Amino acid sequence: MKRTVLGELEELVLLVVAASTEQVYGVPVMQQLKVHTGRDFSIGAVHTTLYRLEEKGFLSSSVGGATSERGGRRKRLFAITAAGAQALAEIRGMREGLWQEIPAEKLKLLGL
Amino acid sequence: MENQNPEGSDPKIHIQPPRWADRLLEWFIAPHLLEFIQGDLHEAFYHTAASAGVQAARREYLWEVMHCLTPFFYKRKPFTTYPRPSMTAMLQSYLTTARRNLAKNKLYTSINVFGLALGMACTLLIGMWVADELSYNRFLAGAADVYLVRINGTNRNTGEIGTAEITPAPLQEAISKDVPEVAAATKINPWMELLVKVGEKGAKEKGYYASDAFFDVFDLPALHGNPRAALSQTNQIIITGKMADKYFPNTEALGKTIQLNNEKFYVVGAVLKDLPAASTLRFDWIVNWKEQEQPWQKTWGNSSFLTYVRLRPNTSAARAEATMKGIFPRYTDKENTSVPILQPITDVYLYADYKMGKPVGGRIEYVRVFSLVAGFILLIACINFMNLATARSATRAKEVGVRKVVGAFRSALIGQFLCESILTSMLAVVLAVGTVWITLPVFNELFAKKLALDLSDPALWAATLILTLITGLLAGSYPALFLSSLKPIKILKGRLQFGSGPALFRRTLVTFQFCLSIFLIVGMLTVGKQMQYLRTKHLGLDRDNVVYVPLEGNVASGPKMEAFRQEIMRQPAVVSATVTGMLPINIQATSGDLSWPGKDPNLETTVTAMTVGPDFIRTMNIRLVDGRDFRAGSLADSSAYLINEATARLMGVSNPVGKEIKFWKGNGRVIGVMKDFHMSSLHQAITPLVVTYIPENSSYLLIKTRQGKTEEALAALKKVTRDFNPDYPFTYHFLDEEYESLYRSEQQVNTLVNYFGILAILISCLGLFGLAAFTAEQRTKEIGVRKVLGASASNIVGLLSSDFMKLVVIALVLASPLAWWALSTWLDTFAYRTGLSWWIFAVSGVVATSIALLTVSFQAIKAAWVNPVTSLRSE
Repeated sequence: MKRTVLGELEELVLLVVAASTEQVYGVPVMQQLKVHTGRDFSIGAVHTTLYRLEEKGFLSSSVGGATSERGGRRKRLFAITAAGAQALAEIRGMREGLWQEIPAEKLKLLGL
Repeated sequence: MENQNPEGSDPKIHIQPPRWADRLLEWFIAPHLLEFIQGDLHEAFYHTAASAGVQAARREYLWEVMHCLTPFFYKRKPFTTYPRPSMTAMLQSYLTTARRNLAKNKLYTSINVFGLALGMACTLLIGMWVADELSYNRFLAGAADVYLVRINGTNRNTGEIGTAEITPAPLQEAISKDVPEVAAATKINPWMELLVKVGEKGAKEKGYYASDAFFDVFDLPALHGNPRAALSQTNQIIITGKMADKYFPNTEALGKTIQLNNEKFYVVGAVLKDLPAASTLRFDWIVNWKEQEQPWQKTWGNSSFLTYVRLRPNTSAARAEATMKGIFPRYTDKENTSVPILQPITDVYLYADYKMGKPVGGRIEYVRVFSLVAGFILLIACINFMNLATARSATRAKEVGVRKVVGAFRSALIGQFLCESILTSMLAVVLAVGTVWITLPVFNELFAKKLALDLSDPALWAATLILTLITGLLAGSYPALFLSSLKPIKILKGRLQFGSGPALFRRTLVTFQFCLSIFLIVGMLTVGKQMQYLRTKHLGLDRDNVVYVPLEGNVASGPKMEAFRQEIMRQPAVVSATVTGMLPINIQATSGDLSWPGKDPNLETTVTAMTVGPDFIRTMNIRLVDGRDFRAGSLADSSAYLINEATARLMGVSNPVGKEIKFWKGNGRVIGVMKDFHMSSLHQAITPLVVTYIPENSSYLLIKTRQGKTEEALAALKKVTRDFNPDYPFTYHFLDEEYESLYRSEQQVNTLVNYFGILAILISCLGLFGLAAFTAEQRTKEIGVRKVLGASASNIVGLLSSDFMKLVVIALVLASPLAWWALSTWLDTFAYRTGLSWWIFAVSGVVATSIALLTVSFQAIKAAWVNPVTSLRSE
């Protein structure tokens, strides 16, 4: 299978979507990212990433319910697709493989 | 209500993100992304406002908005960049549905398309023919001011007004001099077909001798030279481009010499642009009037010429006619009742028939009849469409119901049905144009037309488009209006009972269709019968086995002519031969010169007149009531006359032979009385006739050949003509063919009616076929049950056919009186005609019934033969 290159933010967002049990849309993704990374991401950047992932086929989206605090505007809700899960698994496997290759002495030296 | 507003009781309503930032966002971000990003931004804003205060929230909001100003958010979806016209989606949906419906019911679609295509092809063809007929003489520059002068003469005996096309020659001079409303007047001698010779090349060509102002009346465009100047010279000839190409190919015709009639030479003074086919003027050359003028042409008593005038632009025909009224009494005698009248040049072709001095019709009647026929045929085709649509309405009703339930408006349904019918008519029009394309050469040949399908002509496109739309709307109107009005609840509950309405409507349409078809069949039979009558009626003279040749060159007159005649009479295959000034089957000259001792001075004595040579009666096999034929070389006959019975009646003499009368040769005796014979087409009644013996004045040699020896006679004729007249090409015609050509327009009508009648029936049957197929399909179960219960195949065929048969019978009853009336009117235009016999209607009825029966029973038999197991298992 052709490997799709995912950027860092893309990978993070994909993971956040995969992890979430609630409705996934712009605001919660941004909040989760902040919680987990401590960094501020603009909503614009989050949206851009979500749409990119959708284009790549890793996410699917649907139009969801509106709330009053959004001024009655609807949400675009995202969900991870099988291809998205597969991509995450591949990245994880690749990382783990790399970890495995670090010699035990080196790990010790590095204090890990 | 307040609490129904999601933001109503929320205090946050007063805290809002900065307006201008929102506006910026709304302007910048692509519409398909805006709702979601703005929603998220607002949500985040209220979160921050709640936790960190409004100021921080506003600041953050601005910051966030700035981050959104990237190309990603700006880029619009491609289709939103070019907004589609409104209703595209709806039209697309109509088209898709229509296409699917048409494809689903292939039989009905092909019946519809095929029927409509036939109807449209007829309409297009007839439309082109009508447009051509109506365009006659309209090519003339300033045609509105050009008129043909006709003469109304009142018969003092009967008070009837007769209208003549031919005029005496001096009338033109009188009009030019006395009528100030006339800008120019001209006369022509239109009956000329002379031998034209250039070097070795020679052939007969039609042409006019025309007086000076011809080109002031008819402003015909010239290719070379000045036609006006050329006509003012007696030694010049004006020819058409066609003739120039024929005699002077690849060279300049101007200034070249042409010999006319093997006598005089003329210099080509001008070359005219060819006249279009839609012209009543037909000539290839024109020479000055004076070149043929003879003393008798200067008299008022002899009419043989056509006179045309061009009026001044600021006057009217009525005023000019008022001024012309006095001409005949002024120049001839005071008692003369003749009055010149004017007919617009654009009407000359279409309104040639006059009654009581007023134009009553002519070819325009045929134009009207065929426009009507075209309309009928199109209507029949549209009715097919409507009929099939109504018949299928039960099936379509469910579709309508479902559509209505899911929210279709009535207008949308109307749109959909019309879309379907217009799509059908578009398919049909493509087929129709193809059909016209293929059949046009045949059509042109039949009707001696030069019609062409000019695809670059916007008028044709417009006409086709209009035809398509009219047909589509007409054909689709019923299903669109009726089906769309159904109540969905009734349809879907299955309680839809089509009342007698649609069925009645359908029956009415079928009846109407068959009325039209029967009408056309009766028309076909009657016109055919009348044509048969015309063709076979005994005229009172022989037209079979008579050949005629023009007298020209050496044998045009004098002793050579008589020697020529004698030589031909000596041929074994020839019975007899005579010379005449006109063909006895079409005598077109009248004279008012007849008088006799003791004549009532008030008696109107305008008679038909012709000149002949010896053996006229014998050759033409005319029955003599009394007296004898003219004898060759008899001096006594030089001032003798033959008259017909009508003249004898006019004179009121019971035994006129030997009586003295005064006519063209002065005082002379009547030597014979001919039994009345027809001297022109049977439209005209037999009139008094005086035949004068002037062999020198003859134009034709008529030869009666022996039965079955035509070949030998022609060979001998050719040989003798060569010997006597080597300079002229040998030409001959058969008198019976010439006679038939008198009825050319009737012949064309006959052919047209036949073709279109058959087409109309074909289209009707097509509709009936579809309807029968549908009925059979609808009643599959019923037929199955009946068969199980013991019905025979013939029972079932009868059951299915009888419904339609009733309609055909009703149609017959309705159509017959209508057809009777219309055709008696047509027959009334003939002075001699066949009657409308009852058998015509009987035959029409039988034909219509059997055709309908054949059509229906095909379906019925098919349905009746189906194994009931199959039909009952269906569904």
